[in-house]
Amino acid sequence: YRELHTFELQAPTRLIEWARDSRVCVAGYAQCGGNEILQLIPPPRLQAKEAQGLCPERDFKVECGGFSKHPVYSLKHVPDTSLLVTSGPPDSSVQVWQVSAEDSDVIKSVGTIVTENSTGQPWAKIATISARAPWVLHGSTLDNVQITEVQLRKNVYTAGSQDHEELSGLAFLDSATALLCCARGRLCVVDMRQPWGGTQAVPTPAGLHGQRWCMATLCAHQGSHPVARLSSTGLLTLTDLRKASEPLASARARVPSPGAAAEFLCVSWAPALRGCLAVSGFDGTVHVYDTQSWDSSGREAEPTFVHKGHAVGGSGDPPLVTAHTWHPQRPRTVLSAASDGSLHVWDWVQP
Amino acid sequence: AGQDVGRSCILVSIAGKNVMLDCGMHMGYNDDRRFPDFSYITQNGRLTDFLDCVIISHFHLDHCGALPYFSEMVGYDGPIYMTHPTKAICPILLEDYRKITVDKKGETNFFTSQMIKDCMKKVVAVHLHQTVQVDEELEIKAYYAGHVLGAAMFQIKVGCESVVYTGDYNMTPDRHLGAAWIDKCRPDLLISESTYATTIRDSKRCRERDFLKKVHETVERGGKVLIPVFALGRAQELCILLETFWERMNLKAPIYFSTGLTEKANHYYKLFITWTNQKIRKTFVQRNMFEFKHIKAFDRAFADNPGPMVVFATPGMLHAGQSLQIFRKWAGNEKNMVIMPGYCVQGTVGHKILSGQRKLEMEGRQILEVKMQVEYMSFSAHADAKGIMQLIRQAEPRNVLLVHGEAKKMEFLKQKIEQEFHVNCYMPANGETTTILTNPSIPVDISLGLLKREAAIGPVPDAKKPKLMHGTLLMKDNSFRLVSPEQALKELGLAEHQLRFTCRVHIQDPRKEHETVLRVYNHLKGVLKDYSVQHLPDGSITVESILIQATAHSEDQGTKVLLVSWTYQDEELGSYLTSLLKKGLPQSTA
Repeated sequence: YRELHTFELQAPTRLIEWARDSRVCVAGYAQCGGNEILQLIPPPRLQAKEAQGLCPERDFKVECGGFSKHPVYSLKHVPDTSLLVTSGPPDSSVQVWQVSAEDSDVIKSVGTIVTENSTGQPWAKIATISARAPWVLHGSTLDNVQITEVQLRKNVYTAGSQDHEELSGLAFLDSATALLCCARGRLCVVDMRQPWGGTQAVPTPAGLHGQRWCMATLCAHQGSHPVARLSSTGLLTLTDLRKASEPLASARARVPSPGAAAEFLCVSWAPALRGCLAVSGFDGTVHVYDTQSWDSSGREAEPTFVHKGHAVGGSGDPPLVTAHTWHPQRPRTVLSAASDGSLHVWDWVQP
Repeated sequence: AGQDVGRSCILVSIAGKNVMLDCGMHMGYNDDRRFPDFSYITQNGRLTDFLDCVIISHFHLDHCGALPYFSEMVGYDGPIYMTHPTKAICPILLEDYRKITVDKKGETNFFTSQMIKDCMKKVVAVHLHQTVQVDEELEIKAYYAGHVLGAAMFQIKVGCESVVYTGDYNMTPDRHLGAAWIDKCRPDLLISESTYATTIRDSKRCRERDFLKKVHETVERGGKVLIPVFALGRAQELCILLETFWERMNLKAPIYFSTGLTEKANHYYKLFITWTNQKIRKTFVQRNMFEFKHIKAFDRAFADNPGPMVVFATPGMLHAGQSLQIFRKWAGNEKNMVIMPGYCVQGTVGHKILSGQRKLEMEGRQILEVKMQVEYMSFSAHADAKGIMQLIRQAEPRNVLLVHGEAKKMEFLKQKIEQEFHVNCYMPANGETTTILTNPSIPVDISLGLLKREAAIGPVPDAKKPKLMHGTLLMKDNSFRLVSPEQALKELGLAEHQLRFTCRVHIQDPRKEHETVLRVYNHLKGVLKDYSVQHLPDGSITVESILIQATAHSEDQGTKVLLVSWTYQDEELGSYLTSLLKKGLPQSTA
């Protein structure tokens, strides 16, 4: 490690999202209610480019917080606004929140985006963009994917699919194109200017069915950057959307077997470290891989670094890493959270 | 920075008693703003008359720094309560600070050494969990607060109303002190510090690891590490930390502790061993935990020795004395390091170098160039949001009041507390008055006879349901008694008056009086099956204790007048009977 800082949240979170002005959001996911959404100011040392050792402020500060009756599984900041959107059980609706840090430190609920027949549906996956207006792309299955304008909560687009296949993630590629990832592995590139029929599908890697998949995209390099998919057995495939027929590369992450449930599977590209991605959700560790050396053989890859902090120490069952995210500017800084409420910020030495 | 800044001074009025909690000095100001504004207490009149007592929670200057000013310069002669360690250590810190403010900075409107001594003469020391009677009605009790040696949380009780003031406290134990603890005392109000309420702290382990890493690195490359500390407080914590590390890593570089400092610290920790944590007490039996193997007494001359070393020296902000002397010697070498262990007041060298200044003007216009590494760390022990919730859970107050240095918005924490504990949460600003409404309970003795009698009436008493009872409340001197009316009359020497109601009901009945009476009797007997209805030989009817007599109307033989007569006690039945009879009699059959 170059640096390691451990914090303890009052309640575990399964999301770590960046909001504006380098704020970090976390939220509780307890079924019994009383969940808190917290917007945190990271310690000043994280904002500096160079490590400073013993800096004046090493702590996170809770800047504002809100209360949610329902578990919060997903949260996204709506760019260019002071709004947040969240989603979670028991249905596929999306909650809208207002963060107004000036006059009050309470994150207020300002509305809900309810979709038709949303009850009983799995929870919605969400993505946000502020192109012509602040939009949230949301849906829990292929047939209920829509885009809603956040401030007026008006529908602006509905994908026309009839397929009831469950989604594991979605992302905006640009203001007219979205990428949907099905839980069974299929990717769909949706052009919102065209009817559903024109959707380009990227199939699940051959012969690998019965697993659960999630994906990672990289905001800044939409068209050109490969999409990574991670399966619940640890298989990673990289696909270039421009040449979607053949996967670019694939490898197998070293995961314990039998694996844990695919509840917290998470894969993400490093925004400032070319070709690097991180994988978590199988146990109490986070793996970092350099994909530049990968080929299409699918053999086991050696991680560049493994963060074991969450699994070390404490008694009882080791916790599961529930979420991780990269620091947007510092190349090797990662934040990770686990089911025991721990929140780690770490940075490793380049070998 | 500066989460240790602020002066604490709270005035509580409870059941007619006025208590002042803490009397802190704000170390960021150089004028009278550093003292609390005592005119809030009373505009005229003597403070001694107005205040019933003053309580000091611990020896940090932002909690006791203004005490000599308050008691000797503003004027207060009443009792001042604090724990034994606080009483022992306060005067040392006050004198230290006085010396620097007056001697070094040359200020005039400040208390003198004699004032500190006179002030401490007014102090009454208390033990933990000892109930102290301030006067007949006001009592106080101290609870362990962690944080620093001798720090306490105080419960202030008058009758059945109580307030708990936390001072500064810590809910997690550290290397030399335990965690704060309070019982389920259910005060009407809990006043808690909340400066760290919005902080999610970096784990102590990481902090310590980084501190040790820095010290180790410096010592490995032959540099010297200066750690300015206050006489007591975090210094002991860091000593234990370094000693353990040196032992584990088998390091040879010497560690020094300012002379005078070690003895003093050892003396107080030995004296107040019960105030430290379990581990220290256990080890103390074998050896004095504060007698270190690797840490030795410092001599001024050592500062010039070549080679690596670590030195703990006072005072903590590099504002004078030995630590400043050593700093001047070592500042020019970039291999050396100074680690500031806490907040530094503006104007001190510590504050300047932490702000990034690298050229300092010393006395005699000398410029000191600072090439040594400057680091800061904070090991202060305060409760965060989780800790505050834990304390509220332990004490179960009916209301919570949070005090904090800055006027930050803490709506979120307020709502969190209100939602989780269903209590009111207040966050007043300086100078603001907060009123808490309480439900005082007044104990009343009830006479056994009355209790038995009232309990026998009506349904069986149910513990969960309130039962209405009738009695007379006698208030004599300070005793309250509930007795039966008869007994009250007897005790007061009053004659009992009987109240009787009589009502006339007219009934159309041409028959003879005794026939009417019979009709009435049969009617009532049929309707009032649960009551005792009797036909007396003298021609009257009784229903329980109610008397009914029939007479003919003086002018109209066809009308009979029924006289219904009842006592006040039978009001209900009497009214009922009257309205029943007014409805008329049923036609007799056959």
